[in-house]
Amino acid sequence: MTTITHERHRSVIDAITRLEPDGVAYVPSASIAPIINGLLSAEEEGTLPLIFPVSREEEAIGIVGAYPLAGKFGVIVMQDNGFGNALTALTTFAVSYHLPLLIIANTRGGLGEYNSMIHNISAPVPELLRSTNIPVFSLDRRNSADDWAATIVEAGKHSQMTYRPVVVLMEFFDHTDEKAKA
Amino acid sequence: MKRIDALRTIIESTANEPVVATCAATSRELASIDDRDNHLYLLDAMGLAISVGNGIAQCIQANSEARCFVIEGDGSMLMNPGAALTAGYLRQENLVIIVLDNGVYASTAGIPTQARDLDLGAIAEAAGLRVLRPEGEAELAAALTASRNEAGPWFLHARIEPGNAASTPLLLMDPVILGQRFQSWLLCRTAS
Repeated sequence: MTTITHERHRSVIDAITRLEPDGVAYVPSASIAPIINGLLSAEEEGTLPLIFPVSREEEAIGIVGAYPLAGKFGVIVMQDNGFGNALTALTTFAVSYHLPLLIIANTRGGLGEYNSMIHNISAPVPELLRSTNIPVFSLDRRNSADDWAATIVEAGKHSQMTYRPVVVLMEFFDHTDEKAKA
Repeated sequence: MKRIDALRTIIESTANEPVVATCAATSRELASIDDRDNHLYLLDAMGLAISVGNGIAQCIQANSEARCFVIEGDGSMLMNPGAALTAGYLRQENLVIIVLDNGVYASTAGIPTQARDLDLGAIAEAAGLRVLRPEGEAELAAALTASRNEAGPWFLHARIEPGNAASTPLLLMDPVILGQRFQSWLLCRTAS
């Protein structure tokens, strides 16, 4: 049975594909495993060129952040508690060198989260990012699957037009889908 | 071998290749020898040089002869050792990582690093990188030639003396300009 969560996963995969990135780096998260697996399938099918794991988020910033220096563009898929790891790389490299890249991250903490400690990093993430001049766009249960896709595509364009990293935060909690979780 | 001597050797063989240099004294000394457009200085992104080099290497792989050279230090590599593991996983054949290992954080008062007791070359070997251990400028030059002639990813582990070159000026350029200069050079290079 297709749920709204499945539709949102599919929309994210379609949006990333429409952006035609030269590479996608990912750091794992159970909430976005269907997205990562969908991207890996797209790579196998030839609709996306290169999908690869990294061991920590700052590696992704280094690798994908370097793409614009060669006239290319990349995407990072991760979860929001990794912004603590990524922040120095983001600010001293991607922001300082004006390097566009799109980061799509699911939220932990907040609604639907079972882990009692992860709130402490997830809750301040939007403020942390905005305070370092990194734009943040948020998606949640109030947005349709189509809106998720459109926002991600436009955020990718916004990153390239403004020469800086841009973050889309995805909150998967939805009371209409009992399996939806952070 | 001093760092400045190692950097002179690297510069002699990388006139037409992208070179990503780790922050602080390494970038400063590299620029003091010859501030070239093909140099990307990471002014304050410690631990990021290998990852950035990996990204550049991915982007230029269509040219089978092109190499991306990364100049890393032991302290910087130890701040983000996962980058070397990922380099081994990604297996970019055109990536050449040069680690100038002096066993200290030379840019921060010469404080010892773990490299005094850890063999970074052995770690790189375990990650699947092709490791050479050049001693002195002649062996480093030979290792650079080997890395150009055979597929990598390479990891040139060069032990050097602690210390920085005296009176090296600070690099006070805007990173946006540094990045744009490097990008213009790289796009011309890859288009030709």
